[in-house]
Parts: sequence; C-alpha cells; structure tokens
Amino acid sequence: MSKNTADNKFRKIDVDQYNEDNYQDEVADDGQDMGPNEQEVSSFLSQGKNLEALQAVLSNPPVETKNQAAKDRALQLVMRVLLSFKVADIDKGVNALDSQTLDVLMKYIYRGFENPSEGSSAQLLTWHEKSFKKGGLGCIVRVLTDRKMV
Amino acid sequence: MSATLRPYLSAVRQTLTAALCLENFSSQVVERHNKPEVEVKSSKELLLTPVVISRNEKEKVLIEGSVNSLRISIAVKQADEIEKILCHKFMRFMMMRAENFVILRRKPVAGYDISFLVTNFHTEQMYKHKIVDFIIQFMEEIDKEISEMKLAVNSRARISAEEFLKRF
Amino acid sequence: MATPYSFGIVPIGCHAFNKARNEVAISPNNAEVHIYKQVSGRWEKMHVLEGHGQRVTSLDWAPESNRIVSCGVDRNAYVWTFTDGKWKPTLVILRINRAATCVRWSPQENKFAVGSGARVISVCYFEKENDWWVSKHIKKPIRSTVTSLDWHPNNILLAAGSTDFKARVFSGWIKECEAKPQETPWGKKMPLGNLMVEFSNAPGGGGGWVHSVGFSPSGDKLAWVGHDSSVSVVSVHNKDVVTNVKTTFLPFLSLIWATENSIVVAGHDCCPVLYSTDDQGKLAFVSKLDIPQEKEGGTLSAMKRFQTLDKKATTDDASSDLKTKHQNSITQLSVYSGSREQVTKFASSGVDGQIVVWDFKSLESAIAGLRIA
Repeated sequence: MSKNTADNKFRKIDVDQYNEDNYQDEVADDGQDMGPNEQEVSSFLSQGKNLEALQAVLSNPPVETKNQAAKDRALQLVMRVLLSFKVADIDKGVNALDSQTLDVLMKYIYRGFENPSEGSSAQLLTWHEKSFKKGGLGCIVRVLTDRKMV
Repeated sequence: MSATLRPYLSAVRQTLTAALCLENFSSQVVERHNKPEVEVKSSKELLLTPVVISRNEKEKVLIEGSVNSLRISIAVKQADEIEKILCHKFMRFMMMRAENFVILRRKPVAGYDISFLVTNFHTEQMYKHKIVDFIIQFMEEIDKEISEMKLAVNSRARISAEEFLKRF
Repeated sequence: MATPYSFGIVPIGCHAFNKARNEVAISPNNAEVHIYKQVSGRWEKMHVLEGHGQRVTSLDWAPESNRIVSCGVDRNAYVWTFTDGKWKPTLVILRINRAATCVRWSPQENKFAVGSGARVISVCYFEKENDWWVSKHIKKPIRSTVTSLDWHPNNILLAAGSTDFKARVFSGWIKECEAKPQETPWGKKMPLGNLMVEFSNAPGGGGGWVHSVGFSPSGDKLAWVGHDSSVSVVSVHNKDVVTNVKTTFLPFLSLIWATENSIVVAGHDCCPVLYSTDDQGKLAFVSKLDIPQEKEGGTLSAMKRFQTLDKKATTDDASSDLKTKHQNSITQLSVYSGSREQVTKFASSGVDGQIVVWDFKSLESAIAGLRIA
C-alpha cells in the first residue's frame, strides 16, 4: 500500500470549479465610472437643495468598478444625502426619481442596512417603505438579481 | 410596539415576498439530484445577492436567495446577559425540534441566532404569503417571548431570595 | 372571462393540449404524464404514461402528427405515439448527463429540441435505419441550465433562454433530414449550433435568469422574460436595440405571443399581464388580465361552510385565498384556440394544480379599454 492512502485531503478538493463550462462573471472594464461628483453633491447639501443632491448622488453609481474604496465612498455620500432628508420630505424625494434611479436608490438602501449606525436604520426603513410604494416588488427583485453591486 | 418595529417588519415582509420566487430546479453539478442552491453554493449564477435589513445595530435579518431555495437568518435583540442566555437556550430548544417547524434550519448562519430554509417544495405545498406571515409572526413574538421569560426568571429569583433570606 | 379547471392539489409543472383541444397532457410533478379528455365539460383521466424515472419537466404535443414528447430530470426524453388505444414510448438518445428541462417540437414536427442542465441543447431527429431518435448537440456558448426554447416559424432557427442571463438564437438545421435553408435576417451561416445573436437579459449584463423566450408569429421579433421582473423585445430589423421594460411585479415565468403586436406574460404574481409592441420594437404595459371580482358579502351558505370546514378545518370565512384565479405561481402559458397570428383563447397552468382558460373576447368586454391588436 502506498503511504498516501491515509491522506484524505484530496477528497475536499472542489473539482467542479475547474469545469470550463462553468459560468464566468463578465469582466468589468475598470475605472470608467468613479461614482458621483462629491463636490457637487456637497454644495447642493450645504445650500439645502436636498432633491438636487439626491438626483446628483444617484446619477452615476460606481457599479462597473471593482474598486471597493470607490464604492464605499459613494455609499458614504449617499447615506449623507439620505439622512439629511426630513421624514416628511422623503415622499417628494422618491417621487422625483425615474424607475431606473429608483432601482439604484433601493440598492443603496440595502447597502446602508448592512452597516447600521445610530438612527440610520429608522430613516432607511422609511426610505424603503416609500420606495417600495413606488417601485413595487419588482424594484426589490432587481436588487436581488442584479450582479453589479453599488 | 415601538416606532421602528412596524416598518422593519414590513420591509422584511416585502423582501421575503420578492425573494420567495422559487422554482423546481435540478442541480447542474450533481447528476439526478436536487439541492438547495443557497446551501451548496455550487453555481454562483444561480444565487441572488444576499441582503441585510437592520432595525438597529443588534437586530437584523439576512436574506439569501437562490433559484430554488431561500435562507433567512434572524439576529434577535439581546440587551443583557440574561437575555443572551435565554435566547441561546430557547433557540437551541427549537432547533433540536427543527423537523416540527418544517422550515427551520438546524443550525443558524454564523453571526445570527436562528435561520430558516425555505425550498421550492415548501412553496409548492403551502401558500407563499402564509410562509411569509409565519416568519413575520415569529419575529414579532420572539422578542415578546424572551422579555416575558426574563420577567419570569427575575420574579422567581426574587421569590427564592426572599425565602432564603427569611431564615436569617 | 376565465374558466378554471382543477386537477387536484399537486403542482402542474407543464401541460400540452392536443390539436382539437379536447385532450390535455399534464405532469403532476412526478414521473408520470396524465392525459385527460374533456367529456361533457369535465376532464376525465384517460391514460397514465409511465416511463420516466424521475419528475417530468416538460411536455409538447405535436398537433399534426399527434405525438407527445416528454423530458424529465432522469435525463431522458420519450416520444409517445398513439397506437391501438395506447400510448407507446420510444426512447430518445439525448446523450446528456444532467436533467432535461424543456422540450419543443419544431413547427414541421420532423425534429424537436431538448434543453438541459448539462448546458447543452439536443436537437433530435428520427433516424429511419435504426428506428430511433438521435440527437445533435448545441454547446457553445451556453454557460448554465437552458430554461426555455422556442422554434422560429421557418423550422430552422431556435431561440433559447438560460440561467446565465442570456437569450440566444441558434441555427437548428439538421442536414440529415432537411434541405439547406435560406438565409434569414437573424443570421446567414446555417450549420447546426451556429450562434446567430445573443442578448443579455438586462442591458449592461445586470443579471436575472431568462425564464421564457418566444418568437413572434412572423418570426421577426423575439421576446423574453427575466427574473429581474422584466420583459424584453428585440426586432430583427433593429438587432442592436433591445427594449427592456422593468415592471413593478414579481418575476414572470412564461410568455406567449397573442398577435404579432401583443404578448401575454405570467409568473409568480399568479396573474397574466398583457404587453403590446410595435414594429419598431417598442414595448408597453397594457393591462392585467385577472381583475379580481368583488366578493359578495353577506352570510355564509351552508354549502360553503362545510366546504371550508372540510378543506381548512375551520368555518372562518376570513379566507387566506389570493384574489387571483391562480392561487400559486403560473408555470406555463399556451395557445388554446385561434391561430398563432391571432390567438383567441389561451391557457395557463399553475403550481396550484389548476389550468385556467382565458378568453380574449370576453376579457375585452370585461376590462375597459382593453384591445388586442
């Protein structure tokens, strides 16, 4: 008997991953969209133009890039905008968005849930409720199916 | 009921409804088998993006979807040591009897207290909205249950202490 | 408006009607195929087709040659022919090693295609010398389970949707059994398996499994539905522009073309929905086709009372039923009557064990503003 017979590590090797017919994610061309324009958004916020800030921050989501830092930066910015809305104004904010931007907003809402900070979840839950009222279940389904994360 | 509980539960309800669109799907890795893809994770294209819904830092749910199964994991509020112990014991009690709960998973996902696994066979047998109702009701009652148990433990401790101290 | 027929409580994974529409083959979510015949308004079980070893996933009934083809999780397909009052199976050599998921006869019924979890499509034709069905494979570039197939009216082109988020058009030309086809606007080269066009379900390759594909009656347009709750249409004359409508509903599982300009889709929302297109390939929502009736209030009849007691062990009328006709996801739509160019009635089967037949004429009169053109 070979002395290797006691070795059972080979049983744990996932051979299926080497199947060349397996699905491969499409390779994103990196670096094109680096997220929303931070200065623009900040200036809108400081002038109290929340609606414009929301439009601007959702206009160019960094979905193509693999750069996690860029995505996190964009998330921070979106959270700043979302949390600066008054609860009564959220309806207005959601209604100003078209369905494509609404899908992006929904993605950010779920991203925001992942790292809750003091009081952020309560605000996000309100955003979620209003966005759902407009976008329906389809809007949530698209967050689940979309492979390009914000 | 506190202010954020209702929107929290309705957000979970809507996300569950959206994620519970399952179909009977045979494994494309193992011949003649049917496996819950969310558990085996052998074909990444069949998985949905996992999402988290949080009410605060401690209370959150993780919903992981796939083509034929869905896993929802719940982190229950645990404010102090007693609640932690109670929660742990209670979840253990239920998970040991998982087969009686049909969709309960025997082990929670890491970082959460309890997990449910819903497959397409469950959605074929049962009304989908009833499954969602069940999970939501579970989430509603679990907090109540644990705080009641905490009260019971405290009052029992008080009575025992009184009885004990009478002797002196 | 809509006539529901119940076939028990087990899910109907797939169904197929015969040409006269007085018989229907269904698979009750197991290895059997049941054939029901309509006798004075009721469906009576006539035959049970046993042959598969595991669940039957798809069925198709060839209208002219009166043959049924079935395929299943056991990696087999059978062609059933009706002789001497019995259905006789012929095995098909599929050469696949994963579950077969969908099967469709070609319009001329001389061949059929089987999609499978082995990431291949088997195009099968009859070999006279050996007296069996053999297959040829379309492999590249399918990267995941093939979920749905549809033949172009010209009997050559084959559309396939799969869980790698793509809808594709292949050539399904079998040189052994048919003459060299003409060039088509979808593509020129005709060897079997040649990829004519490939479309991502979501623009930019977002995701969402393609659940169903369909050529329009003329074959000039291709439509598909994806798991991201979207419906997409592309016209052959403008192949670069895919019209993708993202809906607010749950994902759709099945689609059929009602006319050259209208599509019916249905799925997890348990309700068929009508969409219209035009020659440029625009796509617009028209209407839901299942408008729930207002429940008549008042007292519970004794009959109803005992029915609910029997079914749900309660006399409580606060029922948990959905308001739609189907009580669970709709798995398949099919043409019930009318021609391919002008469908007048269509049928839907669901996980709730029902087949519902929908009549466009009465739907048009019941739903204000509904026109099927």
